[in-house]
Amino acid sequence: MTSFYLRWTGVLLVGMLFGGLLYAHYTQHLASLTPEQLLHQMPSGEVRLRGLVKSGSLQGELEQGKAVFELVGERVSVTVQYAGPPPENLRELKTLIVVGRWDPMSNTFYARDLALLPHYGFVTSAYVAGLVPLVIVVFSMARRVNALYEEIKRSTVYQPEATPYVDT
Amino acid sequence: MISKVVRRLRRFQGWFGGLAAGCLVAGLYLGLLASPPDYYQGEVARIMYIHVPLAHTALLAYTVVFAGSLWYLWKRDPLIDNVCHAAAGLSALFTALALVTGMIWAKPTWNTWWTWDARLTSFALLFFILLGYLMLRTFIDHPEREARYAAVLAIVGFLDLPIIHFSVEWWRTLHQPQSISLRGVSISSGLLIPLVIMSIGMSLLFAYMLILRTQLLYLSRLLETKRGRLLSQFHFSKADP
Amino acid sequence: MWTREKKIGLAMSIILVVSALGYLIVGNFGENLVYFFTPSEVKAFPPDYYHKRVRVGGMVVKGSVKTYPNRLGMTFQLTDGHATIPVTFDGIPPDLFKEGQGAVVEGYWSEEQLFHSNLIMAKHSEDYMPIELKRAGATLPRKDFLKTLVPSEDSR
Repeated sequence: MTSFYLRWTGVLLVGMLFGGLLYAHYTQHLASLTPEQLLHQMPSGEVRLRGLVKSGSLQGELEQGKAVFELVGERVSVTVQYAGPPPENLRELKTLIVVGRWDPMSNTFYARDLALLPHYGFVTSAYVAGLVPLVIVVFSMARRVNALYEEIKRSTVYQPEATPYVDT
Repeated sequence: MISKVVRRLRRFQGWFGGLAAGCLVAGLYLGLLASPPDYYQGEVARIMYIHVPLAHTALLAYTVVFAGSLWYLWKRDPLIDNVCHAAAGLSALFTALALVTGMIWAKPTWNTWWTWDARLTSFALLFFILLGYLMLRTFIDHPEREARYAAVLAIVGFLDLPIIHFSVEWWRTLHQPQSISLRGVSISSGLLIPLVIMSIGMSLLFAYMLILRTQLLYLSRLLETKRGRLLSQFHFSKADP
Repeated sequence: MWTREKKIGLAMSIILVVSALGYLIVGNFGENLVYFFTPSEVKAFPPDYYHKRVRVGGMVVKGSVKTYPNRLGMTFQLTDGHATIPVTFDGIPPDLFKEGQGAVVEGYWSEEQLFHSNLIMAKHSEDYMPIELKRAGATLPRKDFLKTLVPSEDSR
């Protein structure tokens, strides 16, 4: 029984290691500024900006990978000038993350790439909902089977071969 | 005396468990960290690596119930009946998990948790067939009759499996068609490899769970016989006429 | 052996399975099962189908999505390759809603030959690949969604 619990402690440790790794990886991907934060912080390097593409603001040639649109936060909106590969996901009324630099002179955000808002909450809950019940069921079944073997060893009253079903 | 087959299963079960754990850890690493996101769905497509293996394992488990039921009706071996019973319970579990992960995938992609299209309906039906199967087994007291009725039910319920598979080809559905079919493989290698590894891992995990659960049911039956609860019912009637 | 509860339970489980299978075989499943109508079928709706809540599936016509400045909602055209219907929608469409892709909309058809919807469900295709491959122009085998929308006569 000790080796049984040792094995499951191992499983738990690997699971926690995995969880930590994923958490670090995903928070890094999710890190983004809202338009309010961008205007407040005025970062000089490359940042990720998150917002809704304003209705009726999208202009430009998407096939050539050029577009201008307004990205709306809670109160303010930012003009984004996009130049990069033809965007697969650009559309009005859609929440996006754009990657690029803020230029305070022209009050424009120059974006070189954009991505869908990653739904990591859904991904995580799907994996938790799928794997945790399986692990619990395997654990309890393994423990029950071990206990049954013990019980059979202890009860020496009578030991028939497992009876085939007989129709009475 | 524990049957030789069960003792052999117990000796080899560790291999299944170990290989399943290895495949699943590798598949999770590839699927969640190393593989690229999908061009259209983005990061949320990673749910595929858990949803699809769960769904196909549910169908695999039901196929085991079906084949085992035929075998039971032919040979009338109680151990085979235990295998069927075990596989049915596991199939119900995998079906439920496939439905839940599917719902979690549907919300961010389709914009609905649930919809009554042919694929979703026929898959939910599988869950109810299994629920009926397990209920039937609980409510019959006679072990041989229980096994026989359950086997017939499982064979009839197998009708649902081709319907699940072809529902997306035959009818208008919200669910997308099969990605791996006669048309070819519609998943590029970077996304296909984690999916295949997770699928293999999930099938191995099912094999491991099936061995465990078969032992569980077999040992409970053995113990019950040992304690003489069933002796008056049929053991004595056979031994002492 | 056969207590009252066991008999009730047995009857219940048999009813459960039989009704499940019965629904599968004879119920509203199979030839008659229509999850959504196509634009051709909607155009041919008799007047008593107006203002009835139905689902319509089709391809969002490229270049047809029009949004309103400073207001949520949009209008677009939905096609099945034979007929095209205009759809008006209130709200924020799902992320995967896109021109040239499949969509299933819920709402009602009205006298002015306009479909009023308040729920869009995005239908995505079965191909999966990284964005780099897509940008390089790769295509994977997939079912042509428009070809699955053959207008059927007995669908109502």
